[in-house]
Order: sequence, then structure tokens, then C-alpha cells
Amino acid sequence: MALDTIIELEGAAVFQKDHLILSDVTLHIERGEFCYLIGRTGSGKSSLLKILYADLSLKDGFAKVAGYKLNGIKNNQIPFLRRKIGIVFQDFQLLNDRNVRDNLIFVMKATGWRDKIAMDRRIEDVLEKVGLVTKGFKMPHQLSGGEQQRVVIARALINDPDIILADEPTGNLDPETSEGIMELMIEISKTGRAILMATHDYSLFEKFPARIIRCEDGKVFDLNPDYYSNKATQE
Amino acid sequence: MAKKEDIVVGRRLKTSIVSAVVSVTLVLYVLGLLGLTILHARKLSDHVKENIGFSVIMHDNAKPAEISILQKYIDGMSGIKSTEFISKEKAASDLTRDLGEDFVAFLGYNPLFPSIEVRFNAAFTHPDSLSNFSEIIEKERIVKEVYYQRSLVEMVNDNVTKIGAVLLIFSGLLLVIAFALINNTIRLSVFSKRFLIKSMQLVGATQGFIRKPFVIKSISQGLIGSCVSIASLIATLYGAQKQIPELIEFQDINMLMSLFVIVILLGIIISWISTFFAVRKYLNIKSDNLYFY
Repeated sequence: MALDTIIELEGAAVFQKDHLILSDVTLHIERGEFCYLIGRTGSGKSSLLKILYADLSLKDGFAKVAGYKLNGIKNNQIPFLRRKIGIVFQDFQLLNDRNVRDNLIFVMKATGWRDKIAMDRRIEDVLEKVGLVTKGFKMPHQLSGGEQQRVVIARALINDPDIILADEPTGNLDPETSEGIMELMIEISKTGRAILMATHDYSLFEKFPARIIRCEDGKVFDLNPDYYSNKATQE
Repeated sequence: MAKKEDIVVGRRLKTSIVSAVVSVTLVLYVLGLLGLTILHARKLSDHVKENIGFSVIMHDNAKPAEISILQKYIDGMSGIKSTEFISKEKAASDLTRDLGEDFVAFLGYNPLFPSIEVRFNAAFTHPDSLSNFSEIIEKERIVKEVYYQRSLVEMVNDNVTKIGAVLLIFSGLLLVIAFALINNTIRLSVFSKRFLIKSMQLVGATQGFIRKPFVIKSISQGLIGSCVSIASLIATLYGAQKQIPELIEFQDINMLMSLFVIVILLGIIISWISTFFAVRKYLNIKSDNLYFY
């Protein structure tokens, strides 16, 4: 195993309750690596991501993420694992009882931020990155789906995590914003962060070529990065 | 227009917090009312017990000095609240007043004996203690007899024990009901936030950090509820005193204070424990299982 491997899965099995979704998953992702995760709906992409942030427990095989072994990880360790990971949830998971700023403040306070000025500065910073500086005082339900998704991205970035797991982060965005977000992600990965992004938007592969991991028939495997562009040329 | 609508909606949402406080208040009020009843019943039973008539009747020829020594001796014994010497003449004048007829003139002599009226502390009025006491006193040379209503003492003790047991069972039951109702209210309010709790967990908040605001909120609700219930209890007490002025004789401010402190503590502790367990339940559930509830 290389020193820089930050996500490591060996022969892992992914279960949803007692139902086997993916078996014998072996996957290594290095620091600074950008990966797409593709597959049909229901092929196990989200479940695989859930295993990585310990929302599903690992029943079989070995897994280590950001230095935390996931086999039998204790409940009180899970929050600290999740602080190493910025997660862009498919279903947003925003705190609907408070506005955008307070959503970000909650995460910061929960992860040990104390300095109010530094917090404000950081909030401005991430909101600017996702283009929502003026929407800080909006409640989540007052935002469009795309705007909520960008808040989730801002929240994932706020602690400058080692890993970003994104479940269809551009799913609700217009092509222009989507491109902006992709550029942001690529830029982040260049600073040594590993990014694993589940997506259905195959047009991204051409514009932002990267490693592609595919879930299919209960297995996970690497695709040749040129697979889709070659296919497009052949057609 | 929109502003007005927001205010109405906001008020509707707030009523759910108010109704949580109201249910805590009502439960604690009933509990406090029972506490007040117990305190008053105890005082009343003490009052009855301490007024049980117990007379030490002396021989006619007992000298005042001897009687005074005996009275001091009785005063020095444990469990005695007070003693009062009733001379032959005073006994006669009391009886004359009660009968409304001068029986001394009618009989030509005073047939009554001097006596010492003894009042015991409530705790000493057990039938066995009284019979022990009378045995000791009867041995005195100047004592003719000891007179008290043995059956009354037994009846008072018996009834106090029965009523005490009923009240105790009832208050135990009410405490369980109070816990169940407050617990239910809190669990419902935490249940409505279960997805919020899960989202908080997913972004890396520790269990303690998530639990803290819930616990603080419910403790403050418990505190408000118990304060309102204490205010209502005081109002009830005031109203009751207006109707039955004698009640004030049975009141002990220290007892009332401790009752109020107990109500506050119950309000806080029940809310605290219920919230702790309700939140913990959702903290330990994996997100997928949240949809099964």
C-alpha cells in the first residue's frame, strides 16, 4: 500500500440490511486523486459512499479511510472520521430549521471552531466559492434545488477535508454552474485532497478527464479513462 | 400581507412548544397538589395526636409539693409536649361551666380529684408507648389512676397508617404517570427532529454536541413548567385559605419550600432524563432505519 493511499478497501462487501449490494470491492484512492464513480441507478454507488463515511457498517472485508479502520469502528469514533471527509449528499441533509449561515456555523462549532471572526471569514470564503455570498440568510426551503446543492458543497469544503465524497453534486445544476463546481473540485484535488464523485453526467469525462470507477453487477472496477471518449469517437 | 401570514404561521409553530410546557405544568401541578395534601394530612394527624386527652388523676390527699415534683418529673420524660396541673377547684369550676349547674352546692362536697393533663408529641402517641407511660406513672404513690381513651388512640393511629399508605401508593402512581406523560411529550418532539439529528451526525457532530441543545431546551421547558405549576399551587393554597381560614394553622413554610424545590427538581430531572434517552435512541439508529418508524 502506498503511503499516500487515503481510501483503501480490500475484499469489502457492501450490504443494505441483509441484502448484498456489492461484493469483493477492492479500491485504492490516493491523496490528490480525482475519481468519478459511475453506474446505473441502484448499482450501489451511494451505498459504497455510505460505507466510506460509516453510515453503513462494513460486514465483510477490510476498509481504511483517512487513517480510520472501518471494521468494527466505534460509534464515538465516527464523528472524527467524518470530520476528515467533506460529504456532498444526494439528498442534501441540510438542517432545515436554520439558515444557510447557521448551517455552516453548526458544522464549524461541532468541529471545534471557536474564533468568531475566523468563522465569518471562512463562511464568506466558501460561500463565494459556490457563488452564494448573498444567500447566507436564506432558509434552505427558500432556495432552489441547485442553490441547496451548492450550500451542501460549501459545507463539505468548510473544514478543508482530506477527502471529498460527492454524490451527484452537479445533478441539480445548470451546465454553467456545474462547470464552475467541477473546476472548483479539480482545483481542490490539486491541493492534495482525494475526491470521489458519483455522477451520471458522462459529458464531464471529456472536459475533465480523470480515473473512472464503475459499479456494475455487484462489482466495482476501474475503467480505462478513455473508454467514454473512445466510445463517443467510434459512434 | 405576507408578513402577517408569517406571524400567524410562526405563532402556530410556537404553540407546539407552549403545549409541551403546558403538559409539563399540569402534571407537576397535580403532583404538587398531592404533595400539599400529604403535608396537610400529616399536620392534621399530628394535631389530632397531640390533643389526645391523657389525665393523671391524683389522690385527694396529695400535697401540692408532691404534685409539683411529679409534674416536673413528667415534664422531663421523653415524648412529652406539655403538662398542665388542674386543681380540685378548677376541675369543679370547669365541670360546673360545662354542666351549667352547680353540682358542688347540690352534693354538698366536691367529688373531683386534682389531676395533671398530659399532651404528647405526635410521634409518642403509639398505643404501646402510652400504656408503658401509664404503667410507670401509676406506680407513683400519689397517683390514683391514669385515664385516657385507649380505643381513640388506637383508632387514630390505625386510620393515620391507612390514609398514609393510600396517599403513598397514590403519589407513587402519580409519579409514574407524570414521568410517562412528560416522557411521551418529549419523545414526540424529539421524534419530529429525528432527521435533523441524523443530518447533524452525518456532518461530524459528536453525540454530546448534538444532545446538548436538546437537553438545555427541555430543561428550560421543565423549569418554566415547574415554576408555573408552583405559582398555581400557591394560588390554590391562597384560595383554599380564603375558604377555610383554619388551614393556616397546619402550614409549615419550610415544608412548603421543600415541596416546591421537589417540584422544580422533578420538572428538571424528568425532562432531562427523557430527552437524554429520546435523543440517544435516534443517535444510535443508522439513517436507513429512520424510515421504519
